[in-house]
Amino acid sequence: MNPESTTSPLNLNPNASKPYSQVHLKRAGKKLLLILPDSEAKDANKDWVELLQDLKYCLNHHKGTWTPGTPVHLLVENRLLDSRQFHHIGETLEAADLKLTRVFTTRRQTAITAATAGYSVEQETQKRELFPTDTPSPNNLTEPLYLKTTVRSGVAIRHPGTVIIQGDVNPGGEVIADGDIIVWGHLRGIAHAGAKGNPECCIMALRMQPTQLRIGEAVARPPENSPEVFESEVAYLTTEGIRLKSALNFNKTHTFAAKDKGWSEKITPNPA
Amino acid sequence: MSRVIVITSGKGGVGKTTITANLGSAIARLGFKIALVDADFGLRNLDLLLGLEQRVVYTAIDVLSGECSIDKALVKDKRQPNLMLLPAAQNRTKEAISPDDMKKLVTELDKQFDFIFIDSPAGIEMGFRNAICPAQEAIIVTTPEMAAVRDADRVVGLLESEDIKKIHLIVNRIKPKMIQLNQMIGVEDILDLLVVPLLGIVPDDERIIISTNKGEPLVLEETPSLPGMSFTNIAQRLNGQDIPFLDFMAADDNLITRLLSIFKK
Repeated sequence: MNPESTTSPLNLNPNASKPYSQVHLKRAGKKLLLILPDSEAKDANKDWVELLQDLKYCLNHHKGTWTPGTPVHLLVENRLLDSRQFHHIGETLEAADLKLTRVFTTRRQTAITAATAGYSVEQETQKRELFPTDTPSPNNLTEPLYLKTTVRSGVAIRHPGTVIIQGDVNPGGEVIADGDIIVWGHLRGIAHAGAKGNPECCIMALRMQPTQLRIGEAVARPPENSPEVFESEVAYLTTEGIRLKSALNFNKTHTFAAKDKGWSEKITPNPA
Repeated sequence: MSRVIVITSGKGGVGKTTITANLGSAIARLGFKIALVDADFGLRNLDLLLGLEQRVVYTAIDVLSGECSIDKALVKDKRQPNLMLLPAAQNRTKEAISPDDMKKLVTELDKQFDFIFIDSPAGIEMGFRNAICPAQEAIIVTTPEMAAVRDADRVVGLLESEDIKKIHLIVNRIKPKMIQLNQMIGVEDILDLLVVPLLGIVPDDERIIISTNKGEPLVLEETPSLPGMSFTNIAQRLNGQDIPFLDFMAADDNLITRLLSIFKK
């Protein structure tokens, strides 16, 4: 089955140059790191409402992966936070049995507010990268993001690595990953694998009924007529565009050719 | 303590207010004390559907500004003493109140009632945020249309992130004939997408339009009707009773088998 596909370059998300464009929770030893993206200048208030919603969503689908009372270090880089916002973050974390203990920032104003609010602060200088290991390059991905949730309409999951979802991606939902995307459920929304332009990335789903598939810089619509029998499928990039194949045995029968920037079938003699 | 339930949908025109009025009346008839809070500031309709428009003197805004007590603003239903309405202001917009105001109102009602229903406006903006803020539970109303189901999905996501975990679903305006002919999305397809427990199904019926225009909730009518019965059943289910779903395709005996298959999953 061949989805119609084009290879026009995609309008990549301007945020994609930042390692984390969404609220992100990361384990680091006995503590958790809470990473907030830099604020967009246009509408600070709306931005904050969305951020708080993102934070709650993030905490909700990670629930149960920490023990109560786990300390949290907040990494805010250059974002400006006032005392009310710190209070909100602290409250939200507390509701999830987490404790905000330390704040890392490059912004002086934020550092002062955090110190006044009673958190220990580490102000990093502007020059030093806060996430030196996370420099965006197609081959340098962060650890996979594992979600146990339904990605509903209006939710966009962005992650600088591979995304694994146990649940459905509903129409109107979006998953944008710099690595592969694996959906253990229905994929009905939009999936964009290799969002930084890596053509080797694949999208796998138990039920492939997407609104749209994107790999690297290619876009594809699913075929007009959906198949009668659904099986788990994998979407991959070939020189002719995005193709779908039964996910079973895909890695045995297909190989990625770096020079063609696409996958092709292995030419191996059939043993039978 | 009362159960605070918000009735919401995302999309407009799917029957939130009609369901609030009818379900509220059905619950009152079961003997519970219930308050209906209209959160649709600027576009209030709930008083109309209950036939209480002429009795509205004070609104929620007057309570918040301290001009009157909440007991004074509550409008007692003319048919059922158990049912009270807290009207919204028609001359204000949704920005006139904040989520905290809404919480204040509901806290004041909390002691006197078994149930509090909040009739949410359409959309997911300020009015919606106000309506869901004080609620512990939610009833999502959708119709068997792709656009309504899509919006309901978005709303479920928003409710989950606001920590409202108890979410029920009512599918409104089912046309059994069209579903049989495969021209309408079936209830099971909606459940497959939304993954929210089903509270009830309400069939499409002209009598609902007539009753809303008259300001007489259908459930209170003497002659029993299919939609009226489904509202009564929903009220009982909300109260924790195990009531089987109505068979809207009695002639063909099809829906029961479909619904049974949903619950076997």
